Amino acid sequence: MAWPRAAARYALALLLFAALGLFSARLLRIEADFSAFLPPSATPEERLLVAQLRDGLVARLMLVALDGGDEKTLARASRALAERLGHDPAFDYAANGGAGQFAAQGEVLMRHRYVLGAEVAPQRFTATALRAALEENLAQMASASGLLTRGTLARDPTGEFAAMLRRLEPAAAPARRQGVWFSADGTRAFLIAQTRAPGFDSEGQAAAMARVRSTLAEVAPQVQATLSGPGVFAAESRRLIRSDAMRLGMISTGVILVLLAFVYRSPLAVALVLTPTAFGLLAGVLVVQALFGSVHAITLGFAATLIGESVDYPSYILLNTQPGETARAAARRVGRTLMLAVLTTVASAMALALSSFQGLAQLGVLTMVGVVVAGLTSHRMIPWLLGERVLDFPRLRVPASAALAAARWPRAVAFVATAGSIAALVALHPDWWERDLAGISPVPAAMRAQDASLRREMGAPEVSVFLASRGSSESTALEAAEAMLPALERWQGEGLIRSFDSPARYLPAPATQAARLRALPDATTLEANLREALKGLAFRPDAFQPFVRDVAAARTSPPLTRAAYAGTPLGTKLNAQVLELDGQWLVLTSLGGVADTARVRGALAALPGSHTQLVDLKQISADMLDGFRREALRQSALGALLIVALLVVGLRSLRRAARVVAPVAAALPLTVALLVAMGQRMGVFHLVALLLVLGIGLNYALFFERPPADEAERSRTRLALALCSTSTVVTFGCLALSATPVLRAIGGTVAIGAVLSLVLAALWARSR
Amino acid sequence: MRSTVLAILLVVAGTAWAAPAFDLARLMQLLAERPSSEAPYVERKYSALLSEPVVSSGTLAFRRPDVVEKNMEKPRRESFRIAGQELVFTRNGKAKRLALSSEPLLAAFAASLRGVLSGDAALLGEHYRLALTGTEPDWKLEMTPVDEEITRYVERIVVSGRAGRVAQIEVREASGDRSVLTVN
Repeated sequence: MAWPRAAARYALALLLFAALGLFSARLLRIEADFSAFLPPSATPEERLLVAQLRDGLVARLMLVALDGGDEKTLARASRALAERLGHDPAFDYAANGGAGQFAAQGEVLMRHRYVLGAEVAPQRFTATALRAALEENLAQMASASGLLTRGTLARDPTGEFAAMLRRLEPAAAPARRQGVWFSADGTRAFLIAQTRAPGFDSEGQAAAMARVRSTLAEVAPQVQATLSGPGVFAAESRRLIRSDAMRLGMISTGVILVLLAFVYRSPLAVALVLTPTAFGLLAGVLVVQALFGSVHAITLGFAATLIGESVDYPSYILLNTQPGETARAAARRVGRTLMLAVLTTVASAMALALSSFQGLAQLGVLTMVGVVVAGLTSHRMIPWLLGERVLDFPRLRVPASAALAAARWPRAVAFVATAGSIAALVALHPDWWERDLAGISPVPAAMRAQDASLRREMGAPEVSVFLASRGSSESTALEAAEAMLPALERWQGEGLIRSFDSPARYLPAPATQAARLRALPDATTLEANLREALKGLAFRPDAFQPFVRDVAAARTSPPLTRAAYAGTPLGTKLNAQVLELDGQWLVLTSLGGVADTARVRGALAALPGSHTQLVDLKQISADMLDGFRREALRQSALGALLIVALLVVGLRSLRRAARVVAPVAAALPLTVALLVAMGQRMGVFHLVALLLVLGIGLNYALFFERPPADEAERSRTRLALALCSTSTVVTFGCLALSATPVLRAIGGTVAIGAVLSLVLAALWARSR
Repeated sequence: MRSTVLAILLVVAGTAWAAPAFDLARLMQLLAERPSSEAPYVERKYSALLSEPVVSSGTLAFRRPDVVEKNMEKPRRESFRIAGQELVFTRNGKAKRLALSSEPLLAAFAASLRGVLSGDAALLGEHYRLALTGTEPDWKLEMTPVDEEITRYVERIVVSGRAGRVAQIEVREASGDRSVLTVN
């Protein structure tokens, strides 16, 4: 049977590509939850960390600073904005410090004041105690300061409500002007908005940000808003990465197309060069979708980077054709080397595929499938597509710098530099690993600094240390948290902590609530005591009937539950701080201003029979990253062993395998040392980039090392390598110019690594 | 006809000439001319909760340009002092400092005392609508808060006096309670 005609072959390939594309477009579920790229959470503390990072209160807090107007204008804008956002479905609430802002919450606290009050006890309602309270109230009547509390006097002469409000007052709040939060210098008004969307949900967060801006534009067009917070970071970094990647991607694609056109002088060849990567990416995405059920957005972005190596594959074949030779013949010639190039990349990606980070595992699988498919496409499909057609392009001559290759000193310099880098890295280990989760954040440092200063000025919580009180049920966990209150107050007095925020203060355990209600006298007793207390005072005899009614109602009312707070800021807080995790209930008490975690831990350990543990999110995240580092090193070692074994078998020579491995083995530590010297710390992103360096570095060495038939083939190999390395350096050099830390890290690492690999391969791997 | 109009005009002009008209500007001028002062006061507080008013007393002082001090001596010692942009509230030897700008209610309260005692119409106008009745020897100034936030607490303030002297300050609260401060 004859080969199908060329047109039919191209049509078939296009059809296959379209089918795969359509298939993946229909099936693909792209996920944006960043926690797939967090280290896997094995311990309960780590799961708690991830839960807090994803859905915690702090993760959903949006800080809003208004400026561009005088004090009055800003205060008006703040009020209007808080009012509108409070009714916006994108937000749980928006607080601006204004009095009477949360009437519903105040009503809950007022209604349940007798189960909330720590001072509620039988002796508080005796005739003597009531007399003292009433005398104080009478004196208050004369005072200028009584105006605000007088509204609740008839209902609450013992002052439970006011005491409750004092207890709930945050330890640090912004200054107030015109009744709302302001910066100390009065130039900016502050609001805190709690988004409904989780912090990691960059799209939901972007929508919430847009709501703030559009609402502000309606209520106060001349006022500008600065937004900050974890959710804002998520949304902004996604936007930055997207626009940066797009812009730089377009520039580098343009440069590479020009480069390919210059080398091949044929649109067909340029299209063919791009084919394997396209097929590889599609196949990889489909396999990941099938195995994991979804593909992470970041995986997709990085995968395009990682299998970028496969853009080189067709060039290794096409540029190796002799004048008048078909691609099939060249493919046969370089087939073995190409296969090794693909397999070594598969081996290095295996390290990723075995990672317990879900995001990295996806990336590994995608890379493995992608390069294999791209390799097959280059080796089989391109020659098949071309058939007997011979590509005619000028074989550009790349001069070999024979003198350089012959000289001994460059090799010696490279050797000394490598040895020095390894020694330095070993000596400084593990300082050059990223130990702060914030460090792997894609958010530009300037934005983080702005957030930190805003947070400081607003006294907004920066929760990293809290107490986790455990229990088999919600009520036992609340009891455990409640048992901590005396100790917490003592620690605060001793300066061990600056502040604490315990849910047990506004949601006492059912047993405590019942005990407080039992302390309330019945109506007859209370009326008798009140009559006695009122004797001779200027109050009217029936002035405190509302008080008697409220106490009677409290005695028979159902217990206060979380549901009573639904839709109020405290309700939002309770939902985030009282939670069920792995069949256990946890009550989280956040601690503010912890100077010395170890001392608090010690004080906690000294308490007898406590069901409460200290959780230090910074420490946990550092531990998680340490664990990740160990795992990455172990798997990389495994991958390296596999690569060496592959090379020894594939090249059938220990000596040749060593010549291929040596340049990359030197390029990697040199690259790391250079980056560290430039002040970077190695994180997940660098690791991904180094794996790519490993892949392309091995390719360079393999092709340099391949024994050529003659000087013509040597020259053709040089051309292929020149083209491939130039395109890599251009692509990643562009990324290195990005303002986004992730893209800069990947770009810089790969560009430096590729240059070093090429130079070292030229020096050490050259076949003689 | 024409002569009647002329006659009326002459009469009006004549009265105006005879005594300078008593209006807000004149009152403010009189108040502004008063030197610093300190005088004892008695304040009566009326409330729906009380069968008889609560009486307190002390001294009220005004020092130019803008310091107001109220020292309550009975039934217990307590004082506040408005100076610069701050109100300092002292009780049991403990002082609490509040920036006037922090709360609209505080700013309006300080403005009412300062504005009246120093004759500052602009300051009063910022926070209140003003209505003056009576004559120079016996005037009454009604001040109604402009800001909704304030009207939730204060319905209006009525100050009465003789020429440049403030005799009484009555504060009617939104709740129906009221206090009457009489300066001796």
